[in-house]
Amino acid sequence: MLVIPALSMPAPAGAGPLDAPGYAKAFTCSACHGPAGQSPSDAMPIIAGIAPGYFKKAIEDYASGRRVSAEMEPYAKMVRELGVEDVAGYFAAQPRRPTEVKADLAAVARGKAAAQQCGGCHGADGAGDAAKLVPDLRGQPPGYLRSQMLLFKAEKRSPGDEPLKAMKVIMRTIPDETLTDLAAYYSTLK
Amino acid sequence: MTCDRRQFLSSMGTATLAMAVGAAGCARTLRGDVAPKSGPRVVVIGGGWGGATAAKYVRLADPSIEVILLEPNREFVSCPFSNLVLSGQRTIEQLTLGYDGLRRHGVKLMHETATAVEPDTRRVRIGEGYLAYDRLIVAPGVEFQWEQVEGLAAAQDRVLHAWKAGPQTVALARQLQAMPDGGVFVLTVPPAAYRCPPGPYERACQVAWYLKTQKPRAKLIVLDANQNIVSKAALFRAAWQAYPNLEYRASNKVVKVDPSTRQVSTEFGDNVKYDVVNVIPPQRAGTIAVQADLVGADKRWCEVDHVTYESVKQKNVHVIGDATIGLPVPKSGNVANNMGKAAASAVSNLIAGKQPPAMALGNTCYSFVNDREAIAVVNAYRIENGKVVQIEQKLTPGASADVARNAVGWASSIWRDILG
Repeated sequence: MLVIPALSMPAPAGAGPLDAPGYAKAFTCSACHGPAGQSPSDAMPIIAGIAPGYFKKAIEDYASGRRVSAEMEPYAKMVRELGVEDVAGYFAAQPRRPTEVKADLAAVARGKAAAQQCGGCHGADGAGDAAKLVPDLRGQPPGYLRSQMLLFKAEKRSPGDEPLKAMKVIMRTIPDETLTDLAAYYSTLK
Repeated sequence: MTCDRRQFLSSMGTATLAMAVGAAGCARTLRGDVAPKSGPRVVVIGGGWGGATAAKYVRLADPSIEVILLEPNREFVSCPFSNLVLSGQRTIEQLTLGYDGLRRHGVKLMHETATAVEPDTRRVRIGEGYLAYDRLIVAPGVEFQWEQVEGLAAAQDRVLHAWKAGPQTVALARQLQAMPDGGVFVLTVPPAAYRCPPGPYERACQVAWYLKTQKPRAKLIVLDANQNIVSKAALFRAAWQAYPNLEYRASNKVVKVDPSTRQVSTEFGDNVKYDVVNVIPPQRAGTIAVQADLVGADKRWCEVDHVTYESVKQKNVHVIGDATIGLPVPKSGNVANNMGKAAASAVSNLIAGKQPPAMALGNTCYSFVNDREAIAVVNAYRIENGKVVQIEQKLTPGASADVARNAVGWASSIWRDILG
């Protein structure tokens, strides 16, 4: 039986990208989430630089089916087996760049005006609050942000989750077109 | 144009090997040690999903290791999404990517075919010369067993496989477009194991969708050597409800093709007439794996250690991708990419005298069932006592445009992981 060597140790000076603690447990994620979690697409979220607490909640929700995804459920169970702390630590340590997906400028302007109602929790700059598991929305792909807002609105993501109730009430008052605008706006923030 | 060994060696030194060798074709005149080794070196045979990933990730793992990638083709053409070229939803150009990203990582490309492996002396033969290695990664993909279908070897120019994306994909799309309305397109599925288990059935969807929209009186007959749809069976059957022009016949192994009478014959003696035929031939590991005695008792696939991907038959030789005995993992591009990374970590650690990490694989596999909707199967694995064991398999509940968007996202991510 092979032992995974010294993953909890900090990477030595001069170490390369594969020496990052947790890499050997996180390497399979890049097939969808991009190299080191920097997703290039509109569909998949960027998980580079993700707050560990929010990452762990996402893994738990996918593994338990509270967030429904045929793609994520098996991987969430795998991450849980491998050790969610190590995988969360790996992605939290990866440098994060805003999405490459270009947003429509008119939509961004409309989204900025509509974003006031989000700032109470996500912050005026969209950076969220890691301690309260409120995610950082800045620079995420607009397609991903929009799809998640639609899931919240339809009560298809984490149904019954107490801290999310107030947000879902707000979502239901926002037309889908405005959700598209909000997604465009937050995707452009850095 | 020719060049001598001295010119070639100086080009190695300036890391422009690929251009020098490729443009001048001078490797054909090479003899002896074509690039003397000055430090640790990994040679990778095959620049597909597994090999290209492995070459890049060995460099990421340890830039002091020299990596030479042997790949005859100048460009990478993605097999995933190539069924959409048949239905006109993608062009082959959209699936064609360059190797410049690998060069930026310091991978030295040689557009040459490895002709033999000498494990005892740790050499790979190319033409009349050889390359020395410390560790070899063999990622040759699949080779077709032409002899399994009578008449196929002699009819390769007319009876297309389109199972390695490229010119054949484009040629088969043209045959489909030129087929008369009211014609019959016959698609034959080989016995498992073969590259991309759901691929033939996705292809059936794309051909049926094209015929339904462009040639409404034409018909698709799928002759499957297997007893049932090999992958995502229930999802494909549901998708096929939309295609009354698709006739699926299980346990119909095609053993003969005759272009002069335009018919194929099954092992039970049934003859099926066609206007266009697409024979996906039975498969085994790429030829170099057979020549290097890496295949197992079945003479088809390579057995490996599931942590290091080292061949169980040859020391210092690692095999990844479709050429390996897949079970329980499928022969997919996603798995080959994962194996490429695991093998790269193993090889770099072994060269440094360190214990390689156990790296558990995953597989995410999308299939398009029409022009805008897709289905998926996802598998996660663990490594248990040195063996790969499935944790869970999950299928999407049905076809949807959301899954299709995820498929597009997956492709852009994994292509960048392989080549970027």
